[in-house]
Amino acid sequence: MSHTPFILAAYLISAVVLFWAAIAPVLNKRSLLRQLKNRQAQMDKTQ
Amino acid sequence: MNPIFLFFHKTGSPPWFYKYSGKLIPWLWAVFLALTVYGLYLGLVVAPADYQQGESVRIMYLHVPSAWMSMMIYGLMAIMGFIALVWRIRIMEVLVISSAPVGAAFTAIALITGSLWGRPTWGTYWVWDARLTSELVLLFLYFGVIALYNSFDEPRKAARAASLMSIVGAINLPIIYFSVEWWNTLHQGSSMGSDGPGIHPSMLLPLLLMATATKFFYGANLLSRARLTLLKQDHRKRWVQDLLSKESH
Repeated sequence: MSHTPFILAAYLISAVVLFWAAIAPVLNKRSLLRQLKNRQAQMDKTQ
Repeated sequence: MNPIFLFFHKTGSPPWFYKYSGKLIPWLWAVFLALTVYGLYLGLVVAPADYQQGESVRIMYLHVPSAWMSMMIYGLMAIMGFIALVWRIRIMEVLVISSAPVGAAFTAIALITGSLWGRPTWGTYWVWDARLTSELVLLFLYFGVIALYNSFDEPRKAARAASLMSIVGAINLPIIYFSVEWWNTLHQGSSMGSDGPGIHPSMLLPLLLMATATKFFYGANLLSRARLTLLKQDHRKRWVQDLLSKESH
């Protein structure tokens, strides 16, 4: 049995999981900051 | 004030933590990348195949560090959870809840890579062996902590409940560690036994490099998540408002 597909699958899946774990807080922070800035801009407009 | 107390006092302040952790994160990522590139080069190119496992031994350079991290992160969560509950330090609550997704990611990697290693080596992807089952329980504990935190409206109450669950769940850690000694399992014994590592240095070095790299991944990812949690919890507070107005100018 060739071991290559198992090795490739292990490295590929790990890379995807770690990349997602790393990028998720960055994307969430960007979206949160955008929301907060929009809210602040709306509040400034109404005042 | 004593410099050590002063350091802990400052670290406990969200604006201070947010500012200085932001400076530390790029360095942690840089060290992680450097160690990973070198560790993978040694593990995939330089290290020989194992005489019994063949080429599938290369999965170990991912599996073993991830399994170590899965246990280490939960252990840290239990310690931080204890500190959060006893001394009511808010940063510790934030660190507990920010650690859980990183720990869950490493546990999932340990289980998946272990399964992919098991097929060519044992002839099966999965057995209900004590080590494998207790590691799966650990993954469910991580999910439990995350779900419990998200089930509350009030973040501090949620973090305290999650901290308590982290402490209670820590009972699983010695079960995972000693499972290969307490029960007759298919899983091999500890790679780093008390009488020294039973691995050739050509394989030990990439393994240790990858194990060190995962610590830096955890550090960088934990701080990123903790900063996000602080922003979410404090978005009405002055320091976040100041930060926003600074960024928009």
